[in-house]
Amino acid sequence: MDKMRFFDCNCSIGRIGYPHLLDIPDVSGLRREMKTAGIEEALVYHVLARDGHPPLGNTLLLEEIKGQAGLYPVWVLLPHHTGEMPPPERLLEEMKSKGVRAARVYPGRLHHSFTLAEWSSGELLTALETARLPLILDIEIVTWEEVHSLLQKYPQLPIVLANFTYRHNRFLYPLWERFDSLYIEISRFMGGGAIEDAVRRFGSRRILFGTNMPHYTGTAAVARLTYADISWDDKKAIAADNLDRILKEVWS
Amino acid sequence: MTDYFAQIHRGLPLNDVEIIDLHAHLGPYFNMHSPSTEAADVVRMMDLCGIEKAVISTTFSFDTDIVLGNTTMLRAIDSFPGRLYGACGINGNYPELSLDELERTFRRPDVVMIKVHPISSKCRLDDRRMNRLFDFASSRRLFVLVHTWLDNDPYGNQDLFASVAASYPEIKWIMGHSGGPYGSIHAVELAQKTPNIFLDLTLSMCPARQVEFFVQEIGSERVLFGTDSPFLDPRLQIGRVALADIPQADRINIFGANARRHIQFV
Repeated sequence: MDKMRFFDCNCSIGRIGYPHLLDIPDVSGLRREMKTAGIEEALVYHVLARDGHPPLGNTLLLEEIKGQAGLYPVWVLLPHHTGEMPPPERLLEEMKSKGVRAARVYPGRLHHSFTLAEWSSGELLTALETARLPLILDIEIVTWEEVHSLLQKYPQLPIVLANFTYRHNRFLYPLWERFDSLYIEISRFMGGGAIEDAVRRFGSRRILFGTNMPHYTGTAAVARLTYADISWDDKKAIAADNLDRILKEVWS
Repeated sequence: MTDYFAQIHRGLPLNDVEIIDLHAHLGPYFNMHSPSTEAADVVRMMDLCGIEKAVISTTFSFDTDIVLGNTTMLRAIDSFPGRLYGACGINGNYPELSLDELERTFRRPDVVMIKVHPISSKCRLDDRRMNRLFDFASSRRLFVLVHTWLDNDPYGNQDLFASVAASYPEIKWIMGHSGGPYGSIHAVELAQKTPNIFLDLTLSMCPARQVEFFVQEIGSERVLFGTDSPFLDPRLQIGRVALADIPQADRINIFGANARRHIQFV
């Protein structure tokens, strides 16, 4: 049996102010964690783009992962109205030219102080939807009402919920019954039998592998998936194939 | 040396090392959909990854009805002798009832620990109503597993836990979750000062290199394997201990030898 390939949709580099335990700020630290867990590829954002300033963090990200096989950039975005980021059309051209594979946003007063409402983020979200660029949302900071609204307004936009936990099924399942473009990643989807239950009800297509390395160990998510009581094909889909499929459609 | 990397990646249960889960549960919970709540579900997940034994308490036993909770626990361990063992849930708001529950459940040899969840019962771990319950544990030199959380637990935070642990040196105190995902550094500081504190690996957000850090700072003899199953899936914890960069002797201690040294499993 060949080793399953893992493609992680939730990794970062950069120093954080409040680490869980160790200071693992750079690409070599992330690489070490990936190797320990047996994870080959990852979508990566820079925590400075989240905790500091998006344009600066995005620029640093490209410098730090340049030439790093298997690491693909994710940018943290803002609406263009303040001039901190270019208008969506130009922004998307720039992202395409630099090989950016996905986007993250951190709306709300406690984070990047903007709203996902149409009057603020509509043009940006429409541009992302046109490009089929996956939008990764931290479900700890956006509301389920916001998620529902985005799914209704931008049906072709793949939305990936990061930090989706074992306590969220009662929110997720009704949305999964209605919307095909909603995905979750498993770094905190650790409820007993939760992956099996989700696959049995909805199939494996909308579940992505994620770890939140290097802050969490990747070994936990790997074992959770390899030991899952689901078919080998479903495991493969979650480990990498689903993310491959989503990324194949970007910029198409 | 056993190639755990290959075994984990093939999804094969680990069968060359005894794995004992000292932090497991049973039953549904009010704020989540948990698809695997029955004893058979817990044992099935244990089988898939190679966990030999688990010590369980029920959710009801620490935040609603301790009698119902402990009775449910006893039924479950009756259903799976040799695989499931009991932790008696106690609640300081009901000191007499809790003492009765200790007397009732510890008549059986397969009830081997005590579980306290201070924040769920909203009774501080150092509440004087707990004293007689801890006297019971102390006289039998039991493990007492306490839910702890670094930042937001006024009822059972790490410092409170350590001060009570120091007051009852005959009890083996398990710092549940080791204070949570941000609690590792303080957990080892407290364990270094207090020799009857044991650290628990149970977490959903598992910090990178935490297992290695604990072993380096306090040795492996006081690091215990736990999963929170079925709230959390037990299989993730197998991965992080099996693939931790530690000597195999330490891994054996954590997986089960430490539990074996202190608990007589009938």
